Amino acid sequence: MAFCKMVDFIYAVLPIRPLRAFLIRSHMESCPRCQARLLSRAEAGRLFVTSDRVGMPADLWGRITCQAERATPATEASSNQGGAGWRWATATATAAVVAVTGFWLLREIDRQGFDPGLVGAADRFQIDYVNVGGAPAQTFVYQPQGTDTVFVWAIKNP
Amino acid sequence: MDEQKRPAVEEKEIIEGCLRGSPVSSRAMVDAYGKLVMAVALNVVGNRQDAEDVCQETFIQVFRHLDRYDPMRNFRTWLLTIVYRRSIDMIKKKRRFSEFTARARFEPAVAERGGNPHFADPEPLPSALLTKLSPRERTALCLWANEGYTARDISEVLECSASTARVYLFNARRKIKALLENEHGLLQNG
Repeated sequence: MAFCKMVDFIYAVLPIRPLRAFLIRSHMESCPRCQARLLSRAEAGRLFVTSDRVGMPADLWGRITCQAERATPATEASSNQGGAGWRWATATATAAVVAVTGFWLLREIDRQGFDPGLVGAADRFQIDYVNVGGAPAQTFVYQPQGTDTVFVWAIKNP
Repeated sequence: MDEQKRPAVEEKEIIEGCLRGSPVSSRAMVDAYGKLVMAVALNVVGNRQDAEDVCQETFIQVFRHLDRYDPMRNFRTWLLTIVYRRSIDMIKKKRRFSEFTARARFEPAVAERGGNPHFADPEPLPSALLTKLSPRERTALCLWANEGYTARDISEVLECSASTARVYLFNARRKIKALLENEHGLLQNG
């Protein structure tokens, strides 16, 4: 009895499936006390509907043929082929764009006289004035240290 | 003829006929396994309308993908795997629209379809106690109780390990037993 309680305790506190399966196999399936706390096959059978008690859906065959005709394998296959063709075309086009862009970037970086510092967004940033509502606005420009990000904060002048 | 005792030869002939595209064999397949599919679907989803939809979708899928069936496998287990998957899809779909169905429950005229009132349906439904189980536990218990499946067979249908199937089955048996005992105790005390 104490052993059953201990097994139950381990089962409850350690929700590890292989361990639980081991406990079931090694003890609970063979222990009469533990088995008494489980639903028997006969008891379970009374809760479910069995195939000999259930009626077939009305006109099941008619519904199946109707749905099958709506999507015949031929049209399905052709639409699948079409879909696959489009997917291949899209994938190839995307791969080509990525390859060309990558190649161009690599060529630009490798070019003589290329200075990465010069192409930084912050270095190229220039602002003359900011208008808000048709009038010059109060403007703050902020660049966090060590980044190429520039924040522009504009407030309408009172 | 009892579905469980269906000769393997007849089953093989039906499958081969379906693969050749014979409507007679397809019809024979529906007649042979319709009740089994319907019963399992009804036990998992819990209501007749959804079970009928699951049944229909199952056979559609079976006819479309019968070429993927491995003859080394048990056909009933393969079929029940599809029933289980379609039932789970149906449960998920219902969960997504749970708000709507909760409203529809109070509007039977809206909930019933096609002028086929099932509220007067004398056919049996699975016990309400089974709603306390997860769909996996319910399926495991149903296959064990109705089909005599072992944990290994159940694991093939649920597509999990035999250990996991054993745990689902054990939990289901224990939960329902406790609920039944609780119900019995309440009846005796009250």
